Amino acid sequence: MSDSPYNPVVHDCFTNPIHVGDVIGGPTAYFEDQGMRIRLSAGIIDSSIVELRFRAWGCPHIIAAVELFCRQFEGRNVQDLEQFETGPIMQDLAVPIEKTGRILVLEDTIRSLKAAINDHLTIK
Amino acid sequence: MILDLIYLDYAATTPLHPSVAEYMRKVQSEAYFNPASNHAAGRLSLAVVHHAAIELAQLFNVNPERFIWTSGATESNNLAILGAAKQREHRGKHLITMRTEHKAVVDAFLFLEKQGFEVTWLAPNLDGQLPLDLFEAALRDDTQLVSIMHINNEIGTIQDIEKIGSICRKRDITFHVDGAQATGKIAVDLAALPVDLYSMTAHKFYGPKGAGSLYVAEDVLIEPLMFGGNQQHRMRPGTLAVDLIAGLGKAASVAQRKMTDDLKHLSSLKKQLMQGLQGIDGLHINGPSKDGYPGILNVGVEDIEGESLLKALEPLCVATGSACNSQSLEPSYVLRAIGRSDIEAQSAIRFSLGRMTTSDEIDKAVSLYCRAVKRLRSISPGPIL
Repeated sequence: MSDSPYNPVVHDCFTNPIHVGDVIGGPTAYFEDQGMRIRLSAGIIDSSIVELRFRAWGCPHIIAAVELFCRQFEGRNVQDLEQFETGPIMQDLAVPIEKTGRILVLEDTIRSLKAAINDHLTIK
Repeated sequence: MILDLIYLDYAATTPLHPSVAEYMRKVQSEAYFNPASNHAAGRLSLAVVHHAAIELAQLFNVNPERFIWTSGATESNNLAILGAAKQREHRGKHLITMRTEHKAVVDAFLFLEKQGFEVTWLAPNLDGQLPLDLFEAALRDDTQLVSIMHINNEIGTIQDIEKIGSICRKRDITFHVDGAQATGKIAVDLAALPVDLYSMTAHKFYGPKGAGSLYVAEDVLIEPLMFGGNQQHRMRPGTLAVDLIAGLGKAASVAQRKMTDDLKHLSSLKKQLMQGLQGIDGLHINGPSKDGYPGILNVGVEDIEGESLLKALEPLCVATGSACNSQSLEPSYVLRAIGRSDIEAQSAIRFSLGRMTTSDEIDKAVSLYCRAVKRLRSISPGPIL
């Protein structure tokens, strides 16, 4: 029996985040809304995301969501970022419905990161 | 069973004292009868209830006949506030309370507002105290009821009940005190204090959940909220929960015996906790820095989110905001009322200590708190730009 508001995925991503940090010199996006703050930065080689790092201020669900996003998209192609949807991540983390707005902050940050990556690739 | 928890949430609830549990088991098996029944078995249960009233009365230095048994402080607060306001509607429709009251009081007053009463919601100072000049300025000729909590459940402020009550008495205003956090914790002499109604609940002082009481001073009348029997002079009908009432009485008796030692123990632990936390950069105390109830310490820390802090503090059991509000995403209205911003209020953690808390647990709590703050700051993108 568990009455925890956090499922095991949230627990793992929150307790053992392996993507905390910054990619110095890489494309970076920062977004704040709903009292949440997220910064994402990426290391890009050709069109591959070789490194994803984050910093976040918010509840355990938002920190876990950003960590899970990094785990899922590091090593993939930049174009794959188009596939990001909030629905599956909310399901994986069992995010309470009242926190939907907070997860949308992550979506906005990812959108900003995509734009920053595109700028980065264009300059290159 | 959960064995590794460090429980520092005694303001939310306390464990049953072993002697209370033992006595309740005895009553459950040997005096389970209906105290309203007019036979020997019923009279046995009635005697148990009378004995509990005597034990409670001794704690408050009043007549045992002055207590109404309820299911807890929420019911006691509702019965006191709604019952008194309705009873004295002819006296006026103006009521006064504070913005830092428990939800059980706040919601009762909000209900009365919908019923046509006018409520003045007084703001506390930074320590959570009711400024008496503000209070006196708010009084009107048609003010008929004032309700102020004795010890604040979130920040531990102890209100000056004697002065507030004296002002009320001079003006023939009914004075209710929510004593949920004070009962059995600090000395409360209701024979000496100018208090008309005093709410309490057993589970905050090592008694059972589901048992509470409302003290009603002599000559104070309130209207009942429920109907359906002659029990308790029709003020609160329904079969009395003999085992719970017995537990409440026993807990009151134990509390009276241990109060001085408890306060000494809690003061020492709170000092240790404050000393352990004081080195943390950006830490602030919410509520009184001195003279508050020693069992409660509410602290906040710059640029840390409360829910994440609570999660990072596991296996430490503490509260963000009040326990009754911890499912809410809203920052604590009590902390907002004492002038904290949303961000400051969100980082608030209430440590509440109790009879069983040990010095070793305080050391562990300090260590966990320091580590959690350091870790969350390492994840944070920094202050708001």
